[in-house]
Amino acid sequence: MDVELLEIRDFLAAHPPFDRLPDEVLDRLPLELSVRYLRRGTPFPPPDADGAYLYLVRSGALELRDTKKELLGKYGEGEIWNSPCDQEELGTDLRVYTVEDSLFYLLPCERVAQLRQRYPTFDELFERSIRERLKRAIDALQQSCSSGIGLLTVEVSRLVTRAPVQVEPQISIREAAQLMNQERISALLVSEGGVLLGIMTDRDLRHAVAEAIPYEQPVSAIMSRKLHKVTRETSAFEALITMTRLNVHHLPVMGRDGVCGLISTTDLVRYQSANPIFLVGDVRTCGSVEELARVATQLPELQVQIVSAGATAYHLGHAIASVTDAITQRLIELAEIRLGPPPLPYVWIAGGSQGRREQTIHTDQDNGIIIDDAYDAERHDSWFGALAHFVNDGLDLCGFSRCPGEVMASNPRWRQPLRVWRDYFHDWILHAERKKAMLAVNFLDTRAIYGESLLHDKLHAEAVALAKENKVFHAYLAANSLTNSPPLGFFRNFVLVSDGDHAKSLDVKHRAIIPIVDLARLHALAAGLPEINSLERLRAAAELGAMPAETAADLEDALEFIATLRARHQARQTTHGEVADNYVKPAELSPLERSHLKDAFSVIRTVQNALSQRNQGGRLY
Amino acid sequence: MFAALFSLDGRRKRLLGKTGAGPLRDYLATPFVPRHTPCSAVGYVALDLETTGLDPQHDEILSVGLVCLDGLRIDLATACHWYVLPTRAIPEQSAVIHRITDDRAAQGEPISAVMARLLPLLAGRVLIAHHARIEQGFLAHGCRRLYGGEFIIPTVDTQLVEKRWLEQRMRPYSANDLRLAQLRNRYNLPRYRAHNALSDALACAELFIAQVAGRDSARAPPLKGFLVKP
Repeated sequence: MDVELLEIRDFLAAHPPFDRLPDEVLDRLPLELSVRYLRRGTPFPPPDADGAYLYLVRSGALELRDTKKELLGKYGEGEIWNSPCDQEELGTDLRVYTVEDSLFYLLPCERVAQLRQRYPTFDELFERSIRERLKRAIDALQQSCSSGIGLLTVEVSRLVTRAPVQVEPQISIREAAQLMNQERISALLVSEGGVLLGIMTDRDLRHAVAEAIPYEQPVSAIMSRKLHKVTRETSAFEALITMTRLNVHHLPVMGRDGVCGLISTTDLVRYQSANPIFLVGDVRTCGSVEELARVATQLPELQVQIVSAGATAYHLGHAIASVTDAITQRLIELAEIRLGPPPLPYVWIAGGSQGRREQTIHTDQDNGIIIDDAYDAERHDSWFGALAHFVNDGLDLCGFSRCPGEVMASNPRWRQPLRVWRDYFHDWILHAERKKAMLAVNFLDTRAIYGESLLHDKLHAEAVALAKENKVFHAYLAANSLTNSPPLGFFRNFVLVSDGDHAKSLDVKHRAIIPIVDLARLHALAAGLPEINSLERLRAAAELGAMPAETAADLEDALEFIATLRARHQARQTTHGEVADNYVKPAELSPLERSHLKDAFSVIRTVQNALSQRNQGGRLY
Repeated sequence: MFAALFSLDGRRKRLLGKTGAGPLRDYLATPFVPRHTPCSAVGYVALDLETTGLDPQHDEILSVGLVCLDGLRIDLATACHWYVLPTRAIPEQSAVIHRITDDRAAQGEPISAVMARLLPLLAGRVLIAHHARIEQGFLAHGCRRLYGGEFIIPTVDTQLVEKRWLEQRMRPYSANDLRLAQLRNRYNLPRYRAHNALSDALACAELFIAQVAGRDSARAPPLKGFLVKP
């Protein structure tokens, strides 16, 4: 090519979708363009256009409004306007015009079509369905961080190095230990007639020795019978999360014809150095709040590692929540050592993002205590109050800031016997109003963290059942899920919030994540679903038909994309020695990420708009 | 009748009679665009020359950059850039501006070959240049020397267009305000690398379409309002 059009070539090469074309095409492409200058206020496409073109903004800006003159979007340098090539998508209710004197590069639509046909990666960005684009965006986000051999991409079957060693339940502990020595393994499977009965590990042997169980006893006397299995196709990361959550170090791997292997934490370590399971192990040995706080300082680094392993927000949320659960549990154990045994059965519960397992390192506390109904404030509250303050203070020291709304166990209101909690839920749900709905939302996302989990699980099931039946409550939930709306998009280095309203950074949490979390909760509760995690809520709601499957899938993808982007943003801040937050500056985002974020925003807006119309019409979902 | 005699196209016809066979005669055989044609219906060629100096008598053309406009749409497919083989060494004071070295220039073609390729592209089109006297002067001198005849072309000088526009509105300006880069900035046009013939030709073409768009008329004004007076 005539190299002197290098400036135009470089401009094309810096902007999607042209950045995906091979060099030799990019070299020639400037010669296929024409250039037009349209003054401010020219309608689009220009009335005197001599053909159908794709318009690339070289300088200046375009605005998109509906018939009511409501601003829908704004396009600046490097963005394309492709409607003339895409007649099907061209809505007659849209008004597009230049809002600045603008210079455009024009590429004929026939040529765009040829390029799309010839270069699939170029074509991807024109994909009509937002769903396809978001799915690809999530993949790209994962790949761009991951080395390709990360835990996420590896199936456990690849980590299995040998057939599992299996024994009959009748053989003696001594024989089993000899076999383990001989085979140099740390665990063996116990089975009978092809049926897996349990697992015996080094840890079980240690317990047997400590409790002086005779070596001649059969292994069945000391083996663990609770067996959690994974399949060959499970990703190594899922296996790691399962191990972390259950605090076990071995998992049997099931093939088509029964058990085909055993994977251990050691197998996983070869693939990743910073490992939540070791952090959980460290937490469990901490003897003081100070030691715990020291271990907790590794959490930001853990997030960096998990993100760079190519994990999505879903996996990260589970990993961070597991460690936070462990820290909370250890704090409660330390408190019990100091305060003596609890006077009554109780359960410590966590809500918010920890409850939903959607945590990142930047989270506040949300917790409470449910106590057995024999509770008598005069006699028992001093113990539970002391516990609550100890744990809340400890969590604060470990980096989980106090909840600004005082939704913590140290607040006497959230440290009550089951019957009081039951009354709370009855009041919030049956006599719904705005404020009560917000409180209910907090406590409908809870999990039992420590203690008598039945106290929580029963209450939660009752609350979910109650919520399902109460339409007025749904209306408040719906209204609540419309309070935070996503921005329109980006314009230059601003977040385009609405007409004349620009923000310097994107509040990812309030503008994008919370709206989806709220929508997921509404649909799950309206269908009486017990799930807590937003992705799981959406999937369950779709399965039950409580929500169109496409809508659920769109919201899932949008949430994964946005939350993964946030996780990466925070990991980057950690790496640069900054404190992680939820504010993403447009300059941090690549043009492609911006366009994917716009897609995610439009998914949220579409669902919110539909909900708002139905809500006004008196039908809620 | 008189108008035809004194008009540029009238001069073209008279010159055609006096010019011998060759590229210049072929060029002059194509009529010029009538002055009252709406400026959106004219074919233009934006041209920039890099030279060893400002005097066509003594200095030489080093490179030629051009791009054609189909009405007010710039067609990049027509973009051309040629180096010209100079007859003398390139003076250092000009080399620092256009950054064409002797080695680069040595790969160029003789001026006769470049002119023979350039003239057919100019036929029937209106020339656009910023401070067009330089381009006009070097082309006329080249034609005189190579073909022994006179070269004329209807011309839009983007610097003059802006100067007239400002004077009509009695707006004060400085010489600096009329420079290509300054004007482009005022019209919200992107910044380009200066002193490359093609880059400057494109920059000038974009400035012209911006100037036309800047006139507050609903319909495209006639070409004559932009032409340099002959």
